[in-house]
Amino acid sequence: MIELFDGLCARSQNHRGSLDVDLMAINDYLSPFLSAGFYYKTFMWPKAFWEKVYEPLIRKSAGLGHASMEPDPDPYDKGFLHADLLVIGTGPSGRAAALAGGRAGLRVILADEDFRAGGRLIAETHDVDERPGASWASAAVAELDALPNVRVMSRTTVYGVFDHGIYGALERRTDHLVDSVGKPRQVLWRIYARRAVLAAGAIERPIAFPNNDRPGVMLAGAVRAYVNRFAVAPGRRVVVFTNNDDGWRTALDLGARSVDVAAVIDTRNIDQPFEVEGARVLMGGRVVDTSGRKGLDSVRLSDGRSIDADCLAVSGGWSPNVHLTCHHRGRPVWRDDIAAFVPGGDLPQGLRVVGAANGSLTLAAALCEGSRAGKEIAADLGRKASAGSAPEAADEASSITAFWHVREGRGRAWLDLQNDVTVKDVKLAFQEGFSAVEHLKRYTTLGMATDQGKTANVAALAIMAELTGKSIAETGTTIFRPPYTPVPIGALAGRARGKEFRPYRLTPSHRWAEEQGAVFVETGMWLRAQWFPKPGETHWRESVDREVALTRGSVGVCDVTTLGKIDIQGRDAAEFLNKVYANGFAKLAVGKVRYGLMLREDGMAMDDGTTARLGEHHYVMTTTTANAGSVFRHLEFCRQCLWPDLDVHLISTTDGWAQFAVAGPNSRKLLQKLVDPEHDISNEAFPFMACAEFSVLGGTPARLFRISFSGELAYEIAVPARYGDAMMRALMAAGEEFEVTPYGTEALGVMRIEKGHAAGNELNGTSTAQDLGLGRMVSKAKDCIGNVLSERPALNREDGFRLMGFKPVDPSQIVAAGAHLFARGKTASMENDEGWLTSAAFSPELKSSIALGFIKRGQERLGEVVVANDPVRGRRIDVEIVSPHFVDPEGERLRA
Amino acid sequence: MLDLALKAEPRLGGFQNNVGGTELAEVTDLAIVSIAVPLDGEAAFDAALSKAYGTERPAPGQSALSPDGQTRFLWTAPDQLFALFEDTSPKAADDVRERLGGKAYVTLQSDNWVALRLAGGMARVALERICPIDLHPSAFGEGHVARTAMEHMGAFVLREGIHSFLLLSASSSAESFLHAVETSLKNVA
Repeated sequence: MIELFDGLCARSQNHRGSLDVDLMAINDYLSPFLSAGFYYKTFMWPKAFWEKVYEPLIRKSAGLGHASMEPDPDPYDKGFLHADLLVIGTGPSGRAAALAGGRAGLRVILADEDFRAGGRLIAETHDVDERPGASWASAAVAELDALPNVRVMSRTTVYGVFDHGIYGALERRTDHLVDSVGKPRQVLWRIYARRAVLAAGAIERPIAFPNNDRPGVMLAGAVRAYVNRFAVAPGRRVVVFTNNDDGWRTALDLGARSVDVAAVIDTRNIDQPFEVEGARVLMGGRVVDTSGRKGLDSVRLSDGRSIDADCLAVSGGWSPNVHLTCHHRGRPVWRDDIAAFVPGGDLPQGLRVVGAANGSLTLAAALCEGSRAGKEIAADLGRKASAGSAPEAADEASSITAFWHVREGRGRAWLDLQNDVTVKDVKLAFQEGFSAVEHLKRYTTLGMATDQGKTANVAALAIMAELTGKSIAETGTTIFRPPYTPVPIGALAGRARGKEFRPYRLTPSHRWAEEQGAVFVETGMWLRAQWFPKPGETHWRESVDREVALTRGSVGVCDVTTLGKIDIQGRDAAEFLNKVYANGFAKLAVGKVRYGLMLREDGMAMDDGTTARLGEHHYVMTTTTANAGSVFRHLEFCRQCLWPDLDVHLISTTDGWAQFAVAGPNSRKLLQKLVDPEHDISNEAFPFMACAEFSVLGGTPARLFRISFSGELAYEIAVPARYGDAMMRALMAAGEEFEVTPYGTEALGVMRIEKGHAAGNELNGTSTAQDLGLGRMVSKAKDCIGNVLSERPALNREDGFRLMGFKPVDPSQIVAAGAHLFARGKTASMENDEGWLTSAAFSPELKSSIALGFIKRGQERLGEVVVANDPVRGRRIDVEIVSPHFVDPEGERLRA
Repeated sequence: MLDLALKAEPRLGGFQNNVGGTELAEVTDLAIVSIAVPLDGEAAFDAALSKAYGTERPAPGQSALSPDGQTRFLWTAPDQLFALFEDTSPKAADDVRERLGGKAYVTLQSDNWVALRLAGGMARVALERICPIDLHPSAFGEGHVARTAMEHMGAFVLREGIHSFLLLSASSSAESFLHAVETSLKNVA
């Protein structure tokens, strides 16, 4: 439903040429051919024509709107609300429930899709508490607005019931404004409600008769809303066609406003229930046709007479809005006395239905039910309900005799005006075997799209029931699913668009790196500097090769803050680490760091990193960037569930410390300029794998670890994150005399491949310690996670995979990760597959492309030449199996 | 040694903005220290806490303010709490450790978090847009604390006053967190 407002632009659609001479009106004459299933049967051939010719043509004719093909320009928002009681609908029953709940002190949310509260009360002329219903509604609004515990939300549709008392609601904030001044167009609310009352009312349904789609034919209740709520006469001369007492009220209300009522046609063979001045009355009659070119001119009746009229008000009875009661698969049940489906007994937990939505179609009953629900819920939630009785009103006449469609007459009798489904289509569906309601829906498109069966379903399945000879109750109805009315995709997305799709994380040296013109890469949510281009460098490889060469030649600095850092303390921390790591940690001395490999329970490698012992009961573990969260979760599981008797405490400090790798032969000299003079970091005092809590630059606390990912003499130095930016600048200033270079993740990757260190590509969840060449690290002298299952025979096969290095025989050729490995002369097939390359880089040190990879029995095959087959890139290259440690295999540099 | 004393930089440069009378500001002088209670050391810890700070351990979902009003303790996990106090020193944890006489394991957390204070008449309706927690005063009173997620980011919410909330979220995603809170405030203004 689109709310009209001053400044709205609207355009008619679904016609060719002007509306006066609509060329598509020819379809009316072709209608005998355009029945249900027409498209399925007709546009079968040639097959290729469907997407390019038929479908666009059909869509163009189908009365669908035009998409702008532009991105949605509006912002959207989401939100969370909490209430004791959510009341859906502000009609008489909802209002009464909200008043009862609100007066008892419950936190109430009252939502209505209309812009004005009151529901049918503002469209009818009933009295409540001896005053006009609309005025009672206004007073009730004022009272509710004044209660601090009640929140009234207009233009808000509760569109779905989800688990555990969660309701989805869409609030239209600026759709009715010409300018939204940058505020969200709509807000998608998630409402947590302890109880809910569905007071969604009912929707009137039409009667199908020939040519009932002519402008001027409308629902009787809509005519009353025009007259009573908006003071608009929808026609000068009105005919009413009804099967129930309610339709007569349209005639009475029109008469009271001096609109000419030409006739009332009631399908029932009963005594005339009301007197309508000046109107001809036909009891037991029917409308059998309408005429008029652009709108209604006259209606023809079953007794053969024609009556001039420009408005025909139709009432086929009311269908309770049971939709939300079906969202947990509740099935509505049929009530003959009101000829309608009402909510079944199987409601979503905490939901109650009142008023017309519950089949209580008269005013006094609705008010009473609503009031009672509000009071009972208040009592149920421990509140003392106010003593006041329900608002007083009379029950209006409402009897009905089901009548679905007019049999006589020619021309199409429309059931679903939105999806162009006629009575004849339902008959055809039956004839062709699609008689189950779900089949009927899909064969005819009945009740699809935005209407979702609100107006058409009941009449269509009643006709199907007639055809099959079953009752309506036996025939049943299709299930209603969320959303009740359409929810824009933009509202579901909320703010998650573009850069705001997800949060991003920045390292402490990010601003400095931006100043250097660094190129960034997303690693998880982190933005990391990938390389730092210098003026004149035209290719990323130039920058990366320079960064590697300068680091290995003198000194380089890389921000490694993204590595996970977990602070571990407790009397039993050593034992804990000894259990979670595959290798031994029980005897790690204070002031030392150890490389550790963590296995999953199933024996596969999970993560690696280093853990430093800073004190007797204090350790700091580092994890890979990617696994920082999952390792922390794993450790918490171990601590809380596996070994609750250990005194161990964990907290993440990843964001707390800015950490920099300082690598290269001059790294010590550089750091000596920064570390406060009382700390000796000479090779003797601070050897490889030493760690300490130091201070730098006159007392700033710092942690220093002598560890190396690059294979060079290297350190990692950490300072509290607030000093990260200053520390990066200090490292650069102090390193000037050594031609220090910052290096990014690419150079980091090149150096770790040259050194043969495993990273994410190798620790991908399918490799074992054995595969990684770390089999001997898995201690057999202790119990640790993964120890037992790592001994499974299949993980210890003699022909198992082994991480090896690979070098192209022709150094001018480039190897790429992903290539699979085959013995020379063998065809590249699954059975000949011997492994694959995991990581590749150009090594400036070796002046050659190099790779790491897994190959069967790799350790026995040093020097063998195999084929790296890379069909994706169309390359087949001879590579030699070498040690994965391309650079300094003895580790002399890092101990220097 | 170089003459290059390191200067501390607040994560959001000391951000401050007033939107329609509601103030959103980065809190830059807040020390956060996590305190873990040793297994079987609960009684000793409680005694130390009481002696040093004159307060009891807060119950789940609650915080406790020391009688001198200087230190607020947040319940964060079954055997863990955070101490919050004004202190810009990177050695703030040492002070807590000493005062508790070694009866707990402490870790400096100040740099792990960015702290935002949202105070003013629109604070609660602004948070409705991102915070799944029920912040109605009847459900979340003064001193109440909750750990939750806003716009995919983990966060603590502490109610400091009827219209004042302290929000903590990871410092590395501080920009995203600020954007989320500021957008909410602007959307409801």
